[in-house]
Amino acid sequence: MASACAWSVALVGLEGRIVEVEADIGAGLPRTVLVGLPDSALYQSRDRCKAAVSNSGHEWPISLLTINLSPATLPKAGSHYDLAIVAAVLAAQRVFGAEQLRRTVLLGELGLDGRLRPVRGILPATLAAQQAGFPRVIVPLRQAGEAKLVEGIDVFGIASITQLVAFLQGVPLPPIEPVEVMGERVGQHANRRLDLADVVGQVEAKWACEVAAAGRHHMLFHGPPGVGKTMLAERVPGLLPDLEVRDALEVSAVHSLAGFNLADELITRPPYSDPHHSASVASIVGGGQRMARPGAISCAHKGVLFLDEAPEFQPAVIEALRTPLESGMITLGRSEVHARFPARFQLILAANPCPCGQAATPGGHCQCSPMVVRRYAEKISGPIRDRIDINQAFLPLRKAYLKAALQRAESSAVVAERVREARDRQDRRLAGSGWQTNGEVSGTYLRRHLPLPDGLQAVDEAVDRGRLSARGVDKVLRLAWTIADLAGRDVPGRDELAIALAMRRGEQPGAVKREAIGP
Amino acid sequence: MVATESKKQIGVRGEDLACAELERQGMQVLERNWRCRLGEIDIVAAEAAPTGLTLVFCEVKCRGLGFGHPLEAITYTKMRTLRQLAALWMREHRMRASSIRLDAIGVVLQPGREPSLTHVRAVG
Repeated sequence: MASACAWSVALVGLEGRIVEVEADIGAGLPRTVLVGLPDSALYQSRDRCKAAVSNSGHEWPISLLTINLSPATLPKAGSHYDLAIVAAVLAAQRVFGAEQLRRTVLLGELGLDGRLRPVRGILPATLAAQQAGFPRVIVPLRQAGEAKLVEGIDVFGIASITQLVAFLQGVPLPPIEPVEVMGERVGQHANRRLDLADVVGQVEAKWACEVAAAGRHHMLFHGPPGVGKTMLAERVPGLLPDLEVRDALEVSAVHSLAGFNLADELITRPPYSDPHHSASVASIVGGGQRMARPGAISCAHKGVLFLDEAPEFQPAVIEALRTPLESGMITLGRSEVHARFPARFQLILAANPCPCGQAATPGGHCQCSPMVVRRYAEKISGPIRDRIDINQAFLPLRKAYLKAALQRAESSAVVAERVREARDRQDRRLAGSGWQTNGEVSGTYLRRHLPLPDGLQAVDEAVDRGRLSARGVDKVLRLAWTIADLAGRDVPGRDELAIALAMRRGEQPGAVKREAIGP
Repeated sequence: MVATESKKQIGVRGEDLACAELERQGMQVLERNWRCRLGEIDIVAAEAAPTGLTLVFCEVKCRGLGFGHPLEAITYTKMRTLRQLAALWMREHRMRASSIRLDAIGVVLQPGREPSLTHVRAVG
């Protein structure tokens, strides 16, 4: 009898695939059949759409209505197909011309009264529509701002079915009262103004943060409680330069998918994610039953992931970070589909040396037995430690130092400027290589395409003594390059290499300077 | 009692209209309201097709608007029962046909308006 089709988007990870929504009004007893591997949220779309259409003054066909979501083999999840389904059904009844839907992607969930509600992932879905060559996308009014962040596609925000019909019929939109939405997650990226100058002392740790920020190196902070590990980690994102446009789009898309409200602007600052140590593996790496959602590591993409009290995390959580630390992405396999999310985060771990926190601290009295101290340290496994570039020990402050340090604390702005200069040097050097920072550059590229620094024998010695793995050599080289970039030198020398080696090994404060001055 | 009576009247009126519609389409009504232990067949009709005789078993639903379209009240369980009833009817009447068909007719009665009929062929 009558049929029509509309277009929507299925999100698999961050990747959007165009879905054709067909509605066919055929002969048979009144019944609505929804086919094309819907999940339960989508299957219930049938009942939502039916009520929404009736309550908007239109008719739901009294015959056998078949709705097909094609490609039929791709599993589909979520409530954002409602709008496309309703549009296809109304077009099949010739409420408006079916040709109106031909070059339009529709996204949005319906309320029973016919009003449109916001959904997750509008940004990546709009991006997919634009890449597929669609010139127009219709989204819930409240999310028009988010969709408009994508260039090269016309975005129309509508509030209800009544408005959709008017829009597609080409008549002026009737007004409608705004939808109140409860329980929306507000963007975590709200720029928190934390200044490095607030942290008293810990000059060396601050410098380690500067190096880490400049080259995107992973760090492990260890030291007794109350010396400023958490405070410093929180201030690292403030040292990072703004995200490039391409990265900003990617980061925003992940946050959109994770359900954060983007508040009509791209996330341009590096994100910061600090999950509590009770977190599950799925919440960290991403998860979900049939379709995966991004986890904390993807929300920290191009930003900082801070795991405070790292030994308190379940070992499986920390171990799960191994592959994404290397590859910069995570592929989650689920029964129906494999989802891939970007996860190029900068890891900062913080740990106490032992359960009481005083082991190996000058002036501290550790109450723990040696076995307990060892077990505590072992909670961060060797493979994870091997992936850390900078091991930074924190020492408790002395009173005299507290006073002296108060006057000459550098602000984040000053440090961020040096970091930006170091990044500029890296950009020039790595132009065309596909990498942005020293921390990401592959070992092969480091050794083959960049000049090797002087004094490599110190590194070789460390390898011979079994103190440095092959990966460790690359880490030291990368660190040396970043230190040279910060110092404004073209090639790292003997000194930079020595400092890098010391930072990697996590020697006690003071040792760094000694080695740096050495022959 | 009055309400029940009027419901029955509505049903009978709907079936009258349905019979008229089937006859208008060239079918011959063989029996109405045939009952047995399983239930009731509203209309049995015969249609002469080029390939032979087709027996049509028809379920009629009649109501005023306000509770949804009458056809929506014809469930698939009902149609399954109708299929069993059709077999029983044919055994009892020792009838043979080249094919059988199950139809549904929805009748909407609205005061002050012509009744509207929806005839859906071959539903079960």
